[in-house]
Amino acid sequence: MAYTTFNRNEFDTFEQPMFFGEPVNVARYDQQKHKIFENLIEKQLSFFWRPEEVDLTNDRKDFMDLPEHEKHIFVSNLKYQTLLDSVQGRSPNVALLPVVSLPELETWIETWSFSETIHSRSYTHIVRNIVPNPAVVFDDITKNEYIVRRAISVTKYYDDFIELSNYYQQLGEGKHTVNGETIDVNLHELKRRLYLTMVSVNVLEAIRFYVSFACSFAFAERAKMEGNAKIIKLIARDEALHLTGTQHMLQIMARGKDDAEFAQIAEECRDDVVAIFHEAAEQEKEWADYLFKDGSMIGLNKDILSQYVEYITNQRIGALGFEPIFDVRNNPLPWINAWLNSDNVQVAPQEAEISSYLVGAIDSEVDTADFGDFDL
Amino acid sequence: MTNARRAARIGRRRWASSKTFHSDAQTEMELTGGSTTQLEMDLGELPLPSYARPAPKEDNVLEQGDLFDLLAESPEPTPQTIFEGMEKPIFEVAFADGRNARFQHANTLLESLEAQDIHIEYQCREGYCGSCRVRLVEGDVHYIEEPMAWIDDDEILPCCCIPKSALKLQ
Ligand code: FES
Ligand SMILES: [Fe+2]
Ligand SMILES: [Fe+2]
Repeated sequence: MAYTTFNRNEFDTFEQPMFFGEPVNVARYDQQKHKIFENLIEKQLSFFWRPEEVDLTNDRKDFMDLPEHEKHIFVSNLKYQTLLDSVQGRSPNVALLPVVSLPELETWIETWSFSETIHSRSYTHIVRNIVPNPAVVFDDITKNEYIVRRAISVTKYYDDFIELSNYYQQLGEGKHTVNGETIDVNLHELKRRLYLTMVSVNVLEAIRFYVSFACSFAFAERAKMEGNAKIIKLIARDEALHLTGTQHMLQIMARGKDDAEFAQIAEECRDDVVAIFHEAAEQEKEWADYLFKDGSMIGLNKDILSQYVEYITNQRIGALGFEPIFDVRNNPLPWINAWLNSDNVQVAPQEAEISSYLVGAIDSEVDTADFGDFDL
Repeated sequence: MTNARRAARIGRRRWASSKTFHSDAQTEMELTGGSTTQLEMDLGELPLPSYARPAPKEDNVLEQGDLFDLLAESPEPTPQTIFEGMEKPIFEVAFADGRNARFQHANTLLESLEAQDIHIEYQCREGYCGSCRVRLVEGDVHYIEEPMAWIDDDEILPCCCIPKSALKLQ
């Protein structure tokens, strides 16, 4: 179906599926088929933060004092995160917006992607602070073979979906000859690619980031690179919300809640899902190997980080209703939870200085009973 | 345990125990249909633009060590969430593997279990990440905030609920 920026058809929004129904028209939020997306938008907006509000002056000194092998760990993770957020800052928009059919989901996708651009901006903030010439870090991202290899598996599902989706919008279903090549466009295959894209996004946000998160918090446990850890906490908070959004989309699809064909696709793709999770976990373990090639850091080594990867892989795939794929049963890095818990007011008093600057930060220590006389 | 972590943990308790839900406030919250965040946004003072916000005061700045001492001097008065018109809930919580706990004097099921050395995974502690997901085999819970994380029909999020009956968890 050809994309239009303002669909003039009249239709019942409650009859629309998440994707591949009518293109959206009025951006209205008074009637919502899936209220969860509105809740996610509200939450994401309440999380708004700006990287420049986190002071990194101590990190510069810390970084200069790090031994070379730890500098390698720190900078490599930063490069990898930059890659992941570069992808996430644009791809949900490019891939999903042309085929979305619900206004609240459309806005969630935009809000989600926008928050990724904040993550990307925070990496520039961090890099500027630790090296005199940021190009030495950024230019390597497209050259470094360890990063490039992973970039391919991160982006291939998006790219395969976008390619077919473009044909679908221009030419519709059927067999078409484009530049002498036969292209078979069918909606079932398109939906299959969309489902697998969502799975790979879930893996990206819910597993791939966590090796870097663990390293950042391991530095901060030693009171090193603490400004960076504050930024990572804010990023991790956003990512936790994103993974919830993606899990909802996947479950709505898998249960055929608004498009029965997706339930069938989810059933067909069960092995692919396990394979995507498995591949990502193995790549992250290889990455841990690369990070620690010249030496481990205090509190973390390749083995324990690999177990952590396996553990969170089990957790994430379990949330989608699959059996665990690795043997690990307990979190080998339980101390990370306290760091991952980064709500601006509920946690860490040492975060107080961030939250006081945050736009929209609320003093949640105020007893709601104090508001008893207010009329809402 | 490092100071940072200890401070983080204490900070969390301090926040949690100061939270008291007033039944009126709760009803209104439900009427607006929004999250608690929305309620607080509506009622709270408008944030100042960044250029107008005061710099943090020197004497407000706490070092991690100070904070621990400071909090140690101010014990918590009533650690349990109170719902007007509802008795303080006290319920047995049993795990399929034989571990037992009792819910009482706690704001959430998660806090109660942690206090009894039963480790449950967590991240957000307010219902949007799904890390604390456990299977509810028997019993019923009440959600303090509307949870956002995806959970299956037979699962609960201990970080944002309290028991309404004795529970069996897995
Ligand atoms: S800890 Fe996040 S949902 Fe319970
Ligand atoms: Fe991100
Ligand atoms: Fe994300």
